[in-house]
Amino acid sequence: MSQARFLIRRSLQGLLVVWGVITLVFLLRFITPGSPVDFVAPLDASPELRAQIAINLGLHQPIYVQYFDYLFGLVRGDMGFSYIRGRPASGIILSRLPATIELAVAATIVAIIFSIPLGVLSATRRHEPTDYAATTFSLVGISTPNFWLGIMLILIVSVGLGILPTSRRPIGLIPALEMLIFQLQISGIRTWIAHMILPAVTLGTYFTAMIVRLTRSGMLDELGQPYVKAARAKGLPETLVTYKHALRNTMIPIITVLGLQLGSLIGGAVITEFVFNWPGLGTLVIDAIVVRDWPIIQGALIVIGIGFVVINIAVDALYTKLNPRVSYE
Amino acid sequence: MISDRVKKSLKRELNHSLMAKIGIVLVLAIMLMAMFAPFFAMHNPTQQQLDRAHQPPLGVTQTSEEFRFVDGERQIQEVTIQGTAEHPFGTDSLGRDLFSRVLFGARTSLMVGLFGTLFAVGTGVSIGLVAGYYGGRVDDSLMRFADIMLAFPALVLAIALVGLLGPLTVRIPDPFVAAGLVEGMPATFVFPITLTIVVGVVNWVWFARIARGEALSIRQEEYVKAARSVGASDWTILRQHILPNSLTPIIVLATIQVAAIILLESSLSFLGFSGTTLSWGFDIAQGRDYLGTSWWISSIPGLAIMFAVIGINLLGDWLRDALDPGLSGEGGV
Repeated sequence: MSQARFLIRRSLQGLLVVWGVITLVFLLRFITPGSPVDFVAPLDASPELRAQIAINLGLHQPIYVQYFDYLFGLVRGDMGFSYIRGRPASGIILSRLPATIELAVAATIVAIIFSIPLGVLSATRRHEPTDYAATTFSLVGISTPNFWLGIMLILIVSVGLGILPTSRRPIGLIPALEMLIFQLQISGIRTWIAHMILPAVTLGTYFTAMIVRLTRSGMLDELGQPYVKAARAKGLPETLVTYKHALRNTMIPIITVLGLQLGSLIGGAVITEFVFNWPGLGTLVIDAIVVRDWPIIQGALIVIGIGFVVINIAVDALYTKLNPRVSYE
Repeated sequence: MISDRVKKSLKRELNHSLMAKIGIVLVLAIMLMAMFAPFFAMHNPTQQQLDRAHQPPLGVTQTSEEFRFVDGERQIQEVTIQGTAEHPFGTDSLGRDLFSRVLFGARTSLMVGLFGTLFAVGTGVSIGLVAGYYGGRVDDSLMRFADIMLAFPALVLAIALVGLLGPLTVRIPDPFVAAGLVEGMPATFVFPITLTIVVGVVNWVWFARIARGEALSIRQEEYVKAARSVGASDWTILRQHILPNSLTPIIVLATIQVAAIILLESSLSFLGFSGTTLSWGFDIAQGRDYLGTSWWISSIPGLAIMFAVIGINLLGDWLRDALDPGLSGEGGV
């Protein structure tokens, strides 16, 4: 099968999964105890007022009518109106999306920058202090709850040393870049970076630890292979053998597992946002759950689900590109 | 049930792995802590003593400024409090003993970790075995459903489910208190039911995938065909032939999942969705407001989570290396 056909098939499967996600999220409201009206109506509301509110929210319709209304709304980009803020849910969700993406990307960059060199060093200097330090770090890293790590970083770096800011950031990446380009002011981007460091490290540590583990075991496997011996025998410098030959083959299992672990990146982002009061999707969803703001809950969960499916397809495509032995099946 | 070969290989791996030994010691320590919490605890973990609030851990001296009324006038005074052996881990903002809270918190984490994993194993393995054994349309529909489940990050789904369904809990009587062996301890243990089911629900897919894969390969084996030809029912074949042969990877994954579920439980408790207040995650959340003054309230319970999870992860590594060298360390939340 060609790559294009593979991608089309994979996208169609993804579409099916997205439809399932939407249906599941829609049904969530009906297995939740209590009516949405309880959270919207005043405490002393008369039965007539409550009935009127239910009609305004469209809750009086049979469930299948509500379902198709919702589905057709989604196709037009309409997720309903937030019960609490009265504005379109889709607009609120979209405005929160950049902060979450910036956080996830920054954490991934942190993870890749630190983990792969550390994993390689750990494997090439097996049973040396570097190796023990790296394996200990990775064990602690995968075992530390990231919300606690975030709080400890706030405690040590912000409260103790007083260097980096902790809570709600004043500026996003795009406004900061606009400031830089149009007003030639660097202060925006500096503020942005200062607010990004702790959350990115908090979210990235688990992945750094995980990739160190994977890189180390993968490199140990590869360095024992005959082709590495052959490369050494023909006199290639060790750096070239390590980084060009062995590391390249190690990347394949790393990417596979990273794809599987994307869910924990998104889940981790939700709780990291909560710790740092980050204006992203995660804090939005948690706040909305507490007040039962259904259009926001549903919309945000669907956006997260779609994002996850899309990234997974991208990882699959990357994977088949990196590993020519994998057929597009 | 455990063959001699397996025992031997477990022992050999244990003998030359320091990490495995550390793991076993850590896990045993946490299990003992959880089981005998009422004996080790020096205070009732839920008892508030406001005059003892914010006491630092043993060996720590804390100086803070406090408003005091002296002769009817408000003055700022420097107050120095020293940690005492009475409260080795210090006290929280309501004067509750943190050492006792850490001990009892181990109960919540381990109970949710064990029962949540059992629930995930039970559902996942049954669904996976059925899907793999029957194949065809049953397999297709079950696995499509699994794909949809996997499209939600486990933590996000768990937050939504627990947050929306509401925290249902049961109170389980403490056997030691009921038997009159200890006094002054909570008579019941609050077991978060919704939370336990939800952490199981968001994790069953991993077990289903493994069980399905095993069932798919084993059902082609000669001995399964032989059993079928002598008239064994599907149920017998699944239970007596396929299940025992797919146990190894399931046990290894289950061990690692206990660690993942403990992390998940602490996250949900941290957000305040668990329904119990005796949990490591809950205490970390409480301490957030006092980071500037009482750093220990958030720090110490987090260390407890870390040691518990490190222990279980090391145990999982040991089982994996001993039982099945071919397995890679995938899976998890």
